[in-house]
Amino acid sequence: MIISRKRKGSSDIPTASTSDIAFLLIIFFMATTKFDVKEGLSMVLPPAAKEGAEVVKLSDKDMTRILIMSSGEIMLNNDNIGLFDQPVFDGKVKEIISANPAMIFSLKTDREARYNDMIRVLDRLKTAGVEKISLSTN
Amino acid sequence: MAKIEIKKRKPVIPQGSMADIAFLLLLFFMVSTVFVQEKVFWVERSRWPLAESIQKIPRNHTSTVYIKQDDTVLIDDVPYSMDDLETMRIASVMQRKLNNDANMIVCFRTDRDTKYGIMSDVMRQLQDIGALKVTFETQKKNN
Repeated sequence: MIISRKRKGSSDIPTASTSDIAFLLIIFFMATTKFDVKEGLSMVLPPAAKEGAEVVKLSDKDMTRILIMSSGEIMLNNDNIGLFDQPVFDGKVKEIISANPAMIFSLKTDREARYNDMIRVLDRLKTAGVEKISLSTN
Repeated sequence: MAKIEIKKRKPVIPQGSMADIAFLLLLFFMVSTVFVQEKVFWVERSRWPLAESIQKIPRNHTSTVYIKQDDTVLIDDVPYSMDDLETMRIASVMQRKLNNDANMIVCFRTDRDTKYGIMSDVMRQLQDIGALKVTFETQKKNN
């Protein structure tokens, strides 16, 4: 009588599907990665005033005061130019810069004014190439 | 004349290293993934103000502060209201973050209809602790 011996099965772990597993993981990571690009208007705040620090006084001709009121109206050097109007505002800023390129802009915003109004003005100043901007509130 | 038979071999692309390539890509993605600190996007992108002269910010030194329209300040998913006590807590949280990364840039994700007063209060706190680099996150304005 012939008893056929049981064939021994191979004891290897099949590796053919490793790449499938790896690609599956890649797809998972690619799908769950959130690209959170940060873009915005950058500013460097002045350091907090220390007691006994030297106070530098600026004359009015070196500084332009912009005040944003709670209603959204804009005062430019105590002159009400009404609600934000981009061409008008750009024109005025250009005029000021061409007269004095080192002009410092002081942007004072009312506590009750909208954030958007302040950013709009800040953006126009930055677009015009103003580098010296100070932010304050009342 | 003897006939020389040329055996035609099927061209085969070796697939043995496929898994290696895949794992290489996998490692790249795993290493380059930066997990967002906050679980919830508290202020939607569509609520940010619009601006034209925007700059990209290197994101590995940033710390995001969300400010919602109802004057709630959120740092790492923790809400703070702006009374005196909480303001102190904001300062201490930001101070801790600043200690971990001296080049920290604070990114404000503020709702565009928020009143400016609260921004000013938060910035005053930042000034006091010496976190001076700030960014107002905005959407790109399309002309």
